[in-house]
Amino acid sequence: MDSSVHLDNVMMRFDNFVAVQQTDLKIESGEFFSFLGPSGCGKTTLLNIISGFLDPTEGTVRIGGQDMRQVPANKRPTSMIFQNLALFPLMTVAENIEFGLEVRGVRKAERRKVSERLLNLVALPECRDKRISDLSGGQKQRIAIARALAVEPRVLLLDEPLSALDLKLRQHMRTELKDIQRKTGITFIYITHDQGEALTMSDRVAVMSAGKLQQVADPMTLYRTPATPFAASFVGENNRIEGQVVAIDGTRVTLDCGDLGRLSGHTHDTFRLGDKALLFIRPELLTRRTSMSDNCFTAQIRELNFEGAYLMMEATPLKSQHRLRIQLLSDMNLGDVAPGNLIIFGFAAEDAMIMSGARDV
Amino acid sequence: MFKQLSERFGPWVSLGIFLLMFLWLVMLVILPQILMIDYSLRPNLPPSQIGGPDDQYTLKNYATLANNAIHQSIFFKTIWSSVLVTVCTLVVCYPLAYYLAKVATPRQAALCVLLLIIPFWINEILRTFSWFIILSYRGPLNALLLSLGFIDRPIRFLSGDGGVIVGMVYAYILFMIFPLYNAIESLDSNQIKAARNLGSGWIRTHYRIIIPHAKPGIATGCIMVFMLSAGSYAVPALLGSPGSRWFTQIIYNWFFEGGDWNQGAAYAFILLLLCIGFIVLMMRLFKVGLGDIAR
Repeated sequence: MDSSVHLDNVMMRFDNFVAVQQTDLKIESGEFFSFLGPSGCGKTTLLNIISGFLDPTEGTVRIGGQDMRQVPANKRPTSMIFQNLALFPLMTVAENIEFGLEVRGVRKAERRKVSERLLNLVALPECRDKRISDLSGGQKQRIAIARALAVEPRVLLLDEPLSALDLKLRQHMRTELKDIQRKTGITFIYITHDQGEALTMSDRVAVMSAGKLQQVADPMTLYRTPATPFAASFVGENNRIEGQVVAIDGTRVTLDCGDLGRLSGHTHDTFRLGDKALLFIRPELLTRRTSMSDNCFTAQIRELNFEGAYLMMEATPLKSQHRLRIQLLSDMNLGDVAPGNLIIFGFAAEDAMIMSGARDV
Repeated sequence: MFKQLSERFGPWVSLGIFLLMFLWLVMLVILPQILMIDYSLRPNLPPSQIGGPDDQYTLKNYATLANNAIHQSIFFKTIWSSVLVTVCTLVVCYPLAYYLAKVATPRQAALCVLLLIIPFWINEILRTFSWFIILSYRGPLNALLLSLGFIDRPIRFLSGDGGVIVGMVYAYILFMIFPLYNAIESLDSNQIKAARNLGSGWIRTHYRIIIPHAKPGIATGCIMVFMLSAGSYAVPALLGSPGSRWFTQIIYNWFFEGGDWNQGAAYAFILLLLCIGFIVLMMRLFKVGLGDIAR
């Protein structure tokens, strides 16, 4: 069955506020697709448009190729998992799961079969007759998933469903969600502001900011080659250094970064000499060097945080105001890595991304 | 409780609070009621014989109702009409309360509440009289219906219970709206969205999600409106016809026209007890607990 979701030139305006700018997007059938962005970026608005709770100001939504303009929210082949789950507190677990079927006039025996199958899927068969208030946070989460799946949606919409859970449970639910998606083959559209969630679960991620799609790519591409400064700094950690173009050699660009001297990186943009530009280098791609060479600088360690497998530190290059974040594997020979000490750091030019600052949002 | 209060306000203030509560409860609620029970259980005697040998406790006053078929029919009609008033008020108020709680913007809601409250700045008698005018044979409502061609000749709205019921629904709207509004307002809007998202139409969303949630509010509103209409005097007195007497009017007559306070007190108590009984029955029927109402 075709469960693709098309957004054709979708735009949403509330009075004078544009919540979602012109968006053209195709989400493939059976894909785990995430919208990632800070709160207020328009991602929840998009979800409400897909589910039919909002009508877009312009453009159309197609699900499985079918135009959804005349289809009200309760007739769409979508199912939503709400941020606060919105389970019905006055119904039992089974009644919650069966509600969507009850609406469709499915017989009681049939409904019971479905709810039992789903309770097994989410590994809570013993909760059937419990009240919602007797469930733990993780159990509620799973019941919400079961309730949404009961109506056999073609598209499952998830609005930050894990944000209320504690860290361990959240990580566990991530694998479980991914697992359920693989088993059911339903298109998942996931909304989150947590880049970890988006990167670990998704086939593709759309980074959103101020109502605009910044980049749509698979997680690895997104992390390695962000397309915009916003994507570069929002997805994962990144050091951002401003500079002016002084040399161009194909895709390799060298910037004059003031106190930090000349630093080179690679780019997908076109520059002219003298343009302002931004250099992005990931904390884990800054490495320790024994002697000074190109793309190196001496920095004083300000702060050191031991995070188990690695060390996260903040360091200030000499004669500079920058605070760079650097991540080192915490092996045994850390030696003189201690606050106050001077250490040489460097990076390979192909690890650094150079972008035009003009597109910064 | 006294300890908690005295820790916070000191012993003297707490003592004062308790005394006031005691005075209010005992002097203004319990004692007058006991006095009325006492009245209802004594025969109606001329002042000279009060305290004399005939002044014995008796259930004679209560038996009066059992032997008077007309009073009985008025009594049951009062209960029945009060139920009707309650149902009509609920039907009128529910959509409005839902609109106020879930649909209207804060500005619209504020305006609506203001429009609801303003008429209640006018005193009850005047408000009821205005309905008397509106509903009268040559009144504006009949004129409107005539001019729109809905009817061929004026309707006598005020001849049966119709006028009384309309007047009461209007008089008690606020007692229904606010409990309903509070109850519906406390429902998480995502529940409504979730029901829609699972395919539920509007009617089912209301009776499966919103009404079950609002049940305590509905119960509170219904009890208030029912008690107020069963005990109402002004509205039936003004809008009622001779054929639509309310039980309260009979009680009034015993007190002030018959001069038989003992008989009036007994009738008043029967009304009170049966109303309470009726409410308890209804609460059982709709599975509403006292705790739900206090929520």
